[in-house]
Amino acid sequence: MNDRSGYDVCEASFSVDGRTILGPISLTLAKKQIYALVGQNGSGKSTLLKLLARQQPASEGTIAFDGVSLKEWKTRPFACRVAYLPQQPGTGGALTVRELVEVGRYPWHGPLGRMGAADRAAVEEAIELADVATLRDRLVETLSGGERQRAWIAMMLAQQSEVLLLDEPTDSLDLLHEVELMRLIRRLVDARNLGVVLVLHDVNVAARYCDEIIALRAGTLLTRGTPQELMQPEALESIYDVPMGILTHPQSGTPIAYVR
Amino acid sequence: MISQTGHSSSSRCYLTLLVLAALAAAMLSLSDLARMAPAGQWGRAVFHPNLADIHQIIVYQTWLPRIAIALVCGAGLALAGAAMQQLLRNPLAEPMTLGTAGGAQLAVLAAAIWIPAWTAFGREWIALAGGAAATALVFALAWKQRLAPVSSVLAGMIVSLLCGSLATALTILGSEYLSGFFLWGAGSLTQNGWGVFIGLAPRLAVAALLLFATLRAIETLDIGDEAARSVGLSLRRTRLIALAITVAIASEITAAVGVIGFVGLAAPALARLGGARRLRDRFLWAPLVGAVLLWLTDEIAKRVAYSPDALPAGAITALIGAPVLLWLIPRMRFAFAPAALQPGRIERSTHPWRRIALIAALCVAAIALSLLVGRGASGWHVSSLSELGGLWPWRFPRIAAALGVGILLALSGCVLQRVTGNPMAGPDILGISTGAAAFVVAGYVLFGTAGRFVQIVWALLGAVSAIAAMLWLGRRNAYAPERMLLAGVAIGALFAGAVATFMATSLGSQLYALLDWLVGSLYNVSQTQALSTVAIAIAALLGTPFLLRWLDILPLGVPAAASIGVSISQTRLALMLFTAFTAAAATVIVGPLGFVGLMAPHMARLSGLRRASEQIAGGAMIGATTLILADWVGRNVIFPYQLPAGIVCAIVGAPYLLAVLWGRPVPFAILPVRFRRASAVARRVC
Repeated sequence: MNDRSGYDVCEASFSVDGRTILGPISLTLAKKQIYALVGQNGSGKSTLLKLLARQQPASEGTIAFDGVSLKEWKTRPFACRVAYLPQQPGTGGALTVRELVEVGRYPWHGPLGRMGAADRAAVEEAIELADVATLRDRLVETLSGGERQRAWIAMMLAQQSEVLLLDEPTDSLDLLHEVELMRLIRRLVDARNLGVVLVLHDVNVAARYCDEIIALRAGTLLTRGTPQELMQPEALESIYDVPMGILTHPQSGTPIAYVR
Repeated sequence: MISQTGHSSSSRCYLTLLVLAALAAAMLSLSDLARMAPAGQWGRAVFHPNLADIHQIIVYQTWLPRIAIALVCGAGLALAGAAMQQLLRNPLAEPMTLGTAGGAQLAVLAAAIWIPAWTAFGREWIALAGGAAATALVFALAWKQRLAPVSSVLAGMIVSLLCGSLATALTILGSEYLSGFFLWGAGSLTQNGWGVFIGLAPRLAVAALLLFATLRAIETLDIGDEAARSVGLSLRRTRLIALAITVAIASEITAAVGVIGFVGLAAPALARLGGARRLRDRFLWAPLVGAVLLWLTDEIAKRVAYSPDALPAGAITALIGAPVLLWLIPRMRFAFAPAALQPGRIERSTHPWRRIALIAALCVAAIALSLLVGRGASGWHVSSLSELGGLWPWRFPRIAAALGVGILLALSGCVLQRVTGNPMAGPDILGISTGAAAFVVAGYVLFGTAGRFVQIVWALLGAVSAIAAMLWLGRRNAYAPERMLLAGVAIGALFAGAVATFMATSLGSQLYALLDWLVGSLYNVSQTQALSTVAIAIAALLGTPFLLRWLDILPLGVPAAASIGVSISQTRLALMLFTAFTAAAATVIVGPLGFVGLMAPHMARLSGLRRASEQIAGGAMIGATTLILADWVGRNVIFPYQLPAGIVCAIVGAPYLLAVLWGRPVPFAILPVRFRRASAVARRVC
């Protein structure tokens, strides 16, 4: 694999009014992988994701994507490569689900370009993948929290980027749609070589679907490793400050953490 | 009294400033006196004027009473402001921001026209009734938000705007009865003798004494309602009595000299800065500061104007007071926002273009009405097509200009609402139009008459600087809609003060042409101007397709828009420039016309036209229809006189804004859950 592909974070930090919220932190993220960012509230997970998404510039240090510093990326070409779903994506204005998903094609056609056949195909595919076909003519703001989340995910998929950055995407989803979303992400990564970074609250979901877990604590990198490496009582206790134990899933054999 | 804090160097510094300001005012006054009479006669002129000496009479009958009235009014307004701020626990409160002064003025004008006999009993009682009614209206509107500072003052400023517009309309309507009221209405301190002072001063003294008697009771408000109740005070009654006294003080002063805004806001704020933390300190120091402030302001106003009476003090106090208001707004604690500013759900039409066609039909009907129907010497008259040829040169330019300006303002407001995410934004209500107008007048005063193109450049500069000021002021509160509205109204007041000052500094006669323009009339629009306006409006309309995608994406929120590759700052800049340009082009033709830029896109949105393309198409036609009808109403309602379209728009628009902001949100908007919960909590706390 080309080592310039993916993210290269070097001594990046983010501070507001002199108070450092994140970093300095260094790490590399490859494509074709699912990374889970875990940690306590305020550990800097969402901030790191926002830096990766170019939502905020790093105060110090550099972040490069595909070998080019984020500062040098142009906005639209970057959006063709990287899609970001904020934690609270908003009510969706006055758009219907289909119109919202069409907005996801903006980086490809820009402010003036017309919707071409490729755009329409991408929109239809995204609607199918995110399971919002039955909602397509509803107003986004009239949907329930979980339905709305899926509409935004459809918009993100229509963007057809190489990397997906999602901030707690399973937060408002019911169990069925949580499982379906994680399976969909797994499928996309395996079939299309996408790279995915997720902020997740539930370490069990992270362990089950992700290739690697990255744990943050007080704005710095605590540890990173495969689910097998991190799903150990001591490692989890250092992340969450709560005594934890590990069970084994009776069928799949994946580790399951519980609070002791 | 200030002894507790008197040791700090900063309050000594403020005290020095106050003394210096008083000295400056005194020096300016004395320099006037020196021109009127030789120093040897001063004592005589002031105490025992020789009635045979014209100089001594001028000193005794105009110079001295003007100073006296400035001191008394300044002190009274400051005292009323300090008391209102304490009673409502609202540092933005004062007679003007709560609508009291505007209501008092309107009542006196209306009485002078319709029931002149009543004024024989004294204007004071009529002013009191008007002031009390307007204040009560403001309270009723802001009651749901528990009289939260920003809500109350926003309601008060809009009520003041409404009263001001109605007062202007009455002045035009009754111009033969009201010539003497012209300067009065604008807050002029010019005096011809001691009559006004002798009427006012004792009443104010009594009111002030009564207010001081309630001092201890209202001081306990500082410790909170519940603690005060436990001390055994009947809060409601005490507050109400004290409030009635302050309304009386404000109304008395308005009856005597007209509306003088912002002194009651600035003086207590300055006293507080100077270390008057306790109410009793403020009750002592605020009147002193207010008296000196108004005296100095009036002395300055006398000098910058081309004649000593040309610039009313009431016009120039806004230049001092509006910045104080702008400084205070971001420092207010969180307030409940009016329901209309919450993201409510509004239906979206399933057949938007049918509705747009309906609106287009209304627009055509308005054009036909305005072209064919009018009042003449023999009453209402519908012109036949053959008569139309003769009327065409009179009616067509106005209708065409109204059409173009309506479209431009609606476009400006529509883009502004979508960029700021504030459904109540508008180039008018956010001070952009007034900013444009102020720069046009400044250009006129500094460089003389200019061509249309130069005027548009000036207007554009003004609009851009108003937007820049608003964005800079709003950054602290993340552009909270309600604060932005209030900041916009304050910027509008600031620019209006600047316009009045510019007008008064240059030779009056040259600027009379601008007067019609400033009230938003279409009387003098030429055929060429009208056609060029329509051409600009069409050009702007043709430009909108390039903006539509941005306008649909930006309401999704900044993170979402940024994540799909919209460069937020560049896009906002481009859209704000579009807003500024359209507002500027409209302002150059019709002056700082109020409310159309707010109403048209808002009505389109409430009609279910919610995508950018629909809102723009529908809003543009609603704007054109509104302005054509406003011009038609203004042409006919008080025939043979004419009412400027701008006044008609304000008289319709201000109640519309009040109704949307504080009225019942049904049927179009459903209260969001979060707000319902907040108000339920508020009720329980009450």
